[in-house]
Amino acid sequence: MTFTPLNIVLFGIIALLGVGFYGLLITRNLIKIVMVLQVLIKSVILALVLAGKLSGNLGLGQSTAATVIVADTIVAVVGLALAVQVRRRLGTLDVPQISSMRG
Amino acid sequence: MESIQYTVFLLGAIFCAYRAIVAKRILSATIYLACISALVSATLYLLGAAQVAVMELSVGAGLVTVLLVYAVSVVGDDAMDPASVIPKPLAFGVVGLVAVLLGWMAFPAVRITAATGSFDLASSLWQNRVLDVWIQIALIFSGVMGVLGLLSEKVPGAKEEVEQ
Amino acid sequence: MAGIIVALVIGLPWLGAIVVWLARNKHPRLQHILAVLFSLLTAAASIALFMFASSEPVIQIPFGKAFGALTFVPDGLAVLLTAIAAVIGSLAVLFSVDYMHGEEQLGRYYFLVLFFIGAMIGLVLSGNLLFTFFFWEITALCSYGLISFYNDDPKAVAGGIKALIITQVGGVGLLVGTLIVFANLGSFQIADLLGKAATLPAAALSLIAFSFLIAAAAKSAQFPFHTWLPDAMEAPTPISALIHAATMVNAGIYLLARFYPAFKSVPGWAMSVLLVGLISALIAAVSALIATDLKRALAYSTVSQLGYMVYAIGAGGVFASQFHLLSHAVFKALLFLAAGSVIHSVGTRDMRRMGGLGRQMPFVRNVFIIGALALAGVPILNGFWSKELILEIGLEHSPLWAYGVMLFGAGLTAFYTFRMVWLVFFGKERDRLNVHRAGSAMRVALGVLAAGTFVTWLFFGGLNNLLVTTLPFHELEHESLLELVTTILSAPATWLALLVVGLGAGISWVRARGYRLFGGDWLNPLVESSFGFDSLNRFIVLGTYKAAEQFSRTQTGELNWNILGIISALLVVLVVLWLGA
Repeated sequence: MTFTPLNIVLFGIIALLGVGFYGLLITRNLIKIVMVLQVLIKSVILALVLAGKLSGNLGLGQSTAATVIVADTIVAVVGLALAVQVRRRLGTLDVPQISSMRG
Repeated sequence: MESIQYTVFLLGAIFCAYRAIVAKRILSATIYLACISALVSATLYLLGAAQVAVMELSVGAGLVTVLLVYAVSVVGDDAMDPASVIPKPLAFGVVGLVAVLLGWMAFPAVRITAATGSFDLASSLWQNRVLDVWIQIALIFSGVMGVLGLLSEKVPGAKEEVEQ
Repeated sequence: MAGIIVALVIGLPWLGAIVVWLARNKHPRLQHILAVLFSLLTAAASIALFMFASSEPVIQIPFGKAFGALTFVPDGLAVLLTAIAAVIGSLAVLFSVDYMHGEEQLGRYYFLVLFFIGAMIGLVLSGNLLFTFFFWEITALCSYGLISFYNDDPKAVAGGIKALIITQVGGVGLLVGTLIVFANLGSFQIADLLGKAATLPAAALSLIAFSFLIAAAAKSAQFPFHTWLPDAMEAPTPISALIHAATMVNAGIYLLARFYPAFKSVPGWAMSVLLVGLISALIAAVSALIATDLKRALAYSTVSQLGYMVYAIGAGGVFASQFHLLSHAVFKALLFLAAGSVIHSVGTRDMRRMGGLGRQMPFVRNVFIIGALALAGVPILNGFWSKELILEIGLEHSPLWAYGVMLFGAGLTAFYTFRMVWLVFFGKERDRLNVHRAGSAMRVALGVLAAGTFVTWLFFGGLNNLLVTTLPFHELEHESLLELVTTILSAPATWLALLVVGLGAGISWVRARGYRLFGGDWLNPLVESSFGFDSLNRFIVLGTYKAAEQFSRTQTGELNWNILGIISALLVVLVVLWLGA
């Protein structure tokens, strides 16, 4: 197995993915969760471009990555808007507290 | 040479990601997120995807940072950091296993094959993936509409105060 | 043509179920009429199917590579059980017109009954093991829904849940066996299993054989899963007649008969089948002796007779078991429906409070006696021929002690049967009960079944021919009616059996005049706890409840735990992929 510089990129992607998953498991704050999702998406963008480069079809890889960037921005925007509303109505951004609320 | 650059950028990205997650204040986390965007953008440029790198930088380090700062200003930056719900060793273990397995299985796949499609993003977007682009435009519109609708709702108490 | 009839015979009851439910509970008469109409049409279609029986699949609906094709194979075994389910189903529905008169929620009742009939027919016609399992589960669901039909009564609900859990434990056996078949043969088709059984590794074949045996024993209320059937008697009586005497409990027998050629070479399997049948027959017969609830006594009798059928399969007499299945379906449905008439008119199921009803309900008394004679195995009636055939095969192919026990069981059968007849219809009136005569719909159903007990044995030759020609794997022997008659009448075993039956009846008569019930304080508590097996079944039911409660704790509703679940699932997928590569 040859070790190319692209392997480093692969490990970087997987490490970012791992940190992102860890963050999702640990975080209690709703806004922080939106941020961790951003980290995860960055690893996905890297992965898509890497895949494009490896299969030689970089144009396709880039266009898919562009789509993902747009989609993830919308997700961030809507998620933050929801977080703001949750804070206004329920008074807290703590996810376990929100889950255990009744009514 | 390339390897060193990749290593530096990615290690930096991972470090910033970790700091962003364990940061106590959201504003600090926002700064770290912007750093991640910058580093990832640099990596993308090194990989040869220049246009996407620019998009990533402007969106990640620009738009998302502004959004987060706005959200924090509305919500208030409570510096809370109670213990997490899931015990840290368990989270670490599960994630570590996933990462190791993924790495092990994906390692042999890193082989460069001959170039087939075009390199240019513009032609790729507007010719091959036109449908994608239109869907993205629709997505942006609906996202903006949704956010406007969400943010324009008055809190019930506030409305009554205004009327009185 | 055959394909159309098969589609009709499954589709009509299901269509009827939906139509009756749509007719709304505000029009009960319409619901009764529609239900009877659809069930009669189904019965007609099922009889028409006899002419088109073949061993080739007549409908094949491909479901992709994963599930194989849904095939329906109307061979002799399937067509016989289809006709039993449809005809007795229509008679039970007819009986329900009177029995359920004025009851609430008829839509739910008829929906479940018709849905059940369609599912049972689909079960026996299916040629794809996976779909057999699907239909199996549907019948279990309908059975639960119907046992707990009076869902205000906690006993009914408890009985329904007990039946559901125990038959589902058996269903797991069926699923496990099916999956092992698929893993080894790559196909779910029953014909493939029957043809290529010899190519399976011995351990896999044994596992499949015993899993199917567990599934069959649980469904047919055989030892050690026999305790759910007596508790299922909380269901309305037409349901007891249909599901728990004539059709659903036969699904287990069907399973054993269908796969006998594949499993007969598995060491210990045939002996286990034989033992299961024998033990069930014996302890159920003893339990029926001291039962005081009329329906419970009949339920024990059902378990006992099913034990005879299972015993026959274990001894190699697949055709004998199916012949007895036919006879049993007819006379047991008759007995249940007649008992239903009695219960409906006097309002109690306790035999100690009945007595002397024969004078006030002569028609019901007569048909009940006919059914009882058939059950006991008195000559001319269908029960005699089929039971003698089983005993004869038992004498030839099973150990002598086993034959002796089954012979003793036949005597016990006669004993408890005549005890029932005496307690309910003869002697002094023990309690002041308000009796009304059976309605006309009830009488029609009862009359048809009573006539049937005289007649069904005459179809022996035709049935034998049908099964021999359409079941290529079973290697059945060709036998005509005349041969059957001469063999049975000339065998010394027959006369011995008749002697035992006579003894049983005689003892019952003598005791009945002297005592009211079979005394025996040592026997009562033993039977109450079903010879200790009720604790086993209670353990299964409680265990399932506790496990369900524990599992509900995983539904925390908290985001972080849910994400952990997702990531763990990802981990599992990765591990599977890694191992697969």
